[in-house]
Amino acid sequence: MGSLVLVVRLGLADVRRHRVQAVMLLLAVTVATATMALGLSLRGVSDALYEQTRAATAGPDVVALSGVTGPAQTSALAALADDPDVVAHQGPYRVVYADLATRDSLTSHVVVHGFAETPGSVDRPLVTSGRWLRPGGAVLERGFATALGVGVGDHVTIAGRSYPVVGIAVTAATSIYPWAAQIGPYGGPSDSTGLAWMTRADAQALASSRDLPVTMALDLKLRDPAATESFIDAHPVPLTLHSWQFTAEQDMVILRNSQPILVVGSWLLGFLAVTGVAALAAGRAVEQTRRAGLLKAVGATPGLIATVLLTEYLALALAGDALGLVIAHLTAPAIASPTASRIGDAAGPGGATVVTATVLAVAVALLSTLRPALRAMRTATVTALSATAHRPRHRPWLTALSALLPTPLLLGLRLTARRPGRAVLQACSTATTVIGIVALLIIGAQPERGYGLDGSSALPNLRDEHDRRVMLAVTALLVALAVVNTITFTWTTAMEARANMAVARTLGATPGQISMGLSTAQLLPSLPGALAGVPLGIGLFAMFALGKWTLPPSSWLFGAAFATLVATAALTALPARLAARQPVARALSAETA
Amino acid sequence: MQDAVLAMLAKEPAHGYNLRARLQRSLGPLGESMNPGQIYVTLARLEKAGLVVCERAGGLPERPERKVYALTPAGQQRVAAWLAEVGWPKPDLAEFHLKLAAAAAARLADPVELVAAQRRELLRRLREVQRAALNEPAGSRAGLLLEGVVLRLQADLRWLSACERAWSGNDDEAEDA
Amino acid sequence: MNEPSPVVEVRGLVKDHGERQGRVRAVDAVDLEVPQGQTLAVMGPSGCGKSTLLHLLGGLERPTGGEVRLAGRRVDTLSERALARLRRRSVGFVFQAFHLVEELSAAENVELPALLAGRSRREARRSANLLLERVGLAGRARHLPSQLSGGQRQRVAIARALANEPLVVLADEPTGNLDTAATLEVLRIFEDLRSAGQTLVIVTHDERVSATADRLISMRDGMFVDDTRMVGSGIGSGTGSGWLGGLVGLEG
Repeated sequence: MGSLVLVVRLGLADVRRHRVQAVMLLLAVTVATATMALGLSLRGVSDALYEQTRAATAGPDVVALSGVTGPAQTSALAALADDPDVVAHQGPYRVVYADLATRDSLTSHVVVHGFAETPGSVDRPLVTSGRWLRPGGAVLERGFATALGVGVGDHVTIAGRSYPVVGIAVTAATSIYPWAAQIGPYGGPSDSTGLAWMTRADAQALASSRDLPVTMALDLKLRDPAATESFIDAHPVPLTLHSWQFTAEQDMVILRNSQPILVVGSWLLGFLAVTGVAALAAGRAVEQTRRAGLLKAVGATPGLIATVLLTEYLALALAGDALGLVIAHLTAPAIASPTASRIGDAAGPGGATVVTATVLAVAVALLSTLRPALRAMRTATVTALSATAHRPRHRPWLTALSALLPTPLLLGLRLTARRPGRAVLQACSTATTVIGIVALLIIGAQPERGYGLDGSSALPNLRDEHDRRVMLAVTALLVALAVVNTITFTWTTAMEARANMAVARTLGATPGQISMGLSTAQLLPSLPGALAGVPLGIGLFAMFALGKWTLPPSSWLFGAAFATLVATAALTALPARLAARQPVARALSAETA
Repeated sequence: MQDAVLAMLAKEPAHGYNLRARLQRSLGPLGESMNPGQIYVTLARLEKAGLVVCERAGGLPERPERKVYALTPAGQQRVAAWLAEVGWPKPDLAEFHLKLAAAAAARLADPVELVAAQRRELLRRLREVQRAALNEPAGSRAGLLLEGVVLRLQADLRWLSACERAWSGNDDEAEDA
Repeated sequence: MNEPSPVVEVRGLVKDHGERQGRVRAVDAVDLEVPQGQTLAVMGPSGCGKSTLLHLLGGLERPTGGEVRLAGRRVDTLSERALARLRRRSVGFVFQAFHLVEELSAAENVELPALLAGRSRREARRSANLLLERVGLAGRARHLPSQLSGGQRQRVAIARALANEPLVVLADEPTGNLDTAATLEVLRIFEDLRSAGQTLVIVTHDERVSATADRLISMRDGMFVDDTRMVGSGIGSGTGSGWLGGLVGLEG
């Protein structure tokens, strides 16, 4: 009981004293867990949205598509409609393959479903604006209409004839835009295609007027909606049968890239969080060790001390985790449904997602603080109480080398050599940032095939756009964390080296040389980090990329690495300058106090 | 002490018991053992030396404590000279130093033992003064005097530590040789 | 001879620091008994092993050889957890550098050991207030260590050491960082503890501190070279006041 009060009290007091660090840990964990939770919950959200759309539109369990229209197919469709496992059906209805043009001369493939003016019990598209079919008018699928920028009252030209758009609707019978065709004319593959509905008569007129390809489709409601698989297996018909599960799965295609971007991005973000927090925790190791000694002296057991040292970080990490999950929950519908083809709300992140994100958060807290905490616990009490910053190892060859260099480089090299651990962290941090930027550049360099006719990019490729946006967001987060890391690294180095720098100044080094030295100390490890980031970024992209992809010119990639270095130099300048301007006497006395 | 009594009379003439009370207040615990008659002996001497005059206060001439003492011009000069003086009591360490040397040379006693005994005595004194100092309220004048005594004793004790190191060191050297 | 066992009892205590070549014997076969209520001062030049001795007594370090008993109970063989419990219940430490938790207020620092011992928050707060009053800091309970003077910080540390009514208070150079006035404040508290029958072991190089003890041990090179029982206790007892009075001679 008393110990709990103590743990909470010490944790709170420590957070109050080290606000910046607490906020940094919180934000880093929030960003990493939000990204991971988002990546992991995309499938769940996509499925949930499909489910809700299906419920709202009396979505069919199985859709039978004829591919080509012949007597065999027609009788197979008729037989299916009478099958004892089928409790309800709609159709067969015509699916007409046509071209569509808007007034803004956007063009696209379109499939026109010939529907009844009063929808039946299966596959009743939900009208989200306007009204359902009337003769002479067309209803557009919402994802398609949104991509075209068309609303109720506008006119669209389908196969050369103008139709007023009388309504906008969603359906669960087809996949989201642009995969409404499901199957191409004559059973071939389909291009990016939108969906429109017309009355049966209008669809027939449309098909016959221009001799357009037509197939037949039939929506089926099964006795057991879950048993689609066995139903399809039991009916070896000359038709293509799509289960609702298949259609839901098809919805995920648009997220095929954004999911790995988010998940891999969250690993990288988590890694950056670890490096940043580890550097801060290492900077406080001496303080923690002393505190451990103090608590031991007043009778705290090793277990309690470990609890005190870790609880604060764990609590912050879990708070960040919770925050990240909330953010993921709020943003998930937007990220999981880049088209407007589905309706509904996202449920909260699933249990597995929560567990995984929490594991990530705890891992960040533990990885970054376990080492100093263990050291604090293991150090003998007496030693701990008189703990001072551990004396960095002397590296004579570096000292000898640095004697030949100009002052700032000399100072920088020595500072780097004093804290090899931090140099490694800085290198990793830079490499991670460059990985993100390289991946962004590669995605940006891919040729885009638009959704318009013949790949016209007047209708943009929603999937590529989405990938780019997600990648941009992840990269921006990576850069933001890296910026915070770099500033912290520089400041921590400056604070630790302040006595030595003050001595250097009493020996005649100028503040300018000192701040250049501090910047150099960060830049030196950043250089290999940035260079390593380029191949690592390409490698990582290759691991997760689907299909063919091309590499952007190497000048772009190395330009990005170089720009990262320049940015690092600029970022280190401010804290380094601040630190270097401290009066010498104060810096000297601060160390002895 | 005569000078201090004279200086206390410089402000205004005073009774003997009054002077004694003022002395005791300034000295604190150090003044407690002062003999009540001592102040009168001192005043009598000063009167004999012509530095103070004794005036009998009116009213009750048969009561001796009604005597009021005042400075003579010679007394005033003596006070002025005393204030200007910068003399300081000399620490007399030579005697103990020589005691150690003699004891070692003639093998009369172990100098280290002598130092230890002396140290115990000084510690006993320090303990006494320290106790007295602890009983003084913080910031009292008498406390300041006790502080001075404590610091001198501390200095002496440190010197004894140095003696102890030196003499035990000599011992070792003698054995090594 | 049916005396209660001494609060602190040490037999043949040995402590080596360092590894093979650089091995230094900090405490060399020391025997010691501290009876209930005694104030023991250990003096000696720096590096003589006096701090190590104190750490061994409080279980902060483990001896290389020999035995340490607190109230008759062997402590040098205890596990780390048991040692922690022992420090919590039976030992109060006072350090030269105070070692207060900087983020916690004076009262919260004093509550630390009580909370560690599992006492309720209210109980811990009440005893902390009493202890702060005892060291004359009742008005500073909510101050952070950084807002207190050195002497005040050390008094908070003493209050903390007393929080669980320890068998023995172990003080390591308690006045080492203090000026004269603050030293007196601390000595006054030790004096109060002494008269209240608290067993105290003080390691110090300050003669003023050792002079107030009942017993003074001098250490050199890890061994005891002198063990003096101080008799005659100050004012009022009359034994020593003759000398004290003799400091002021009216004869001039």
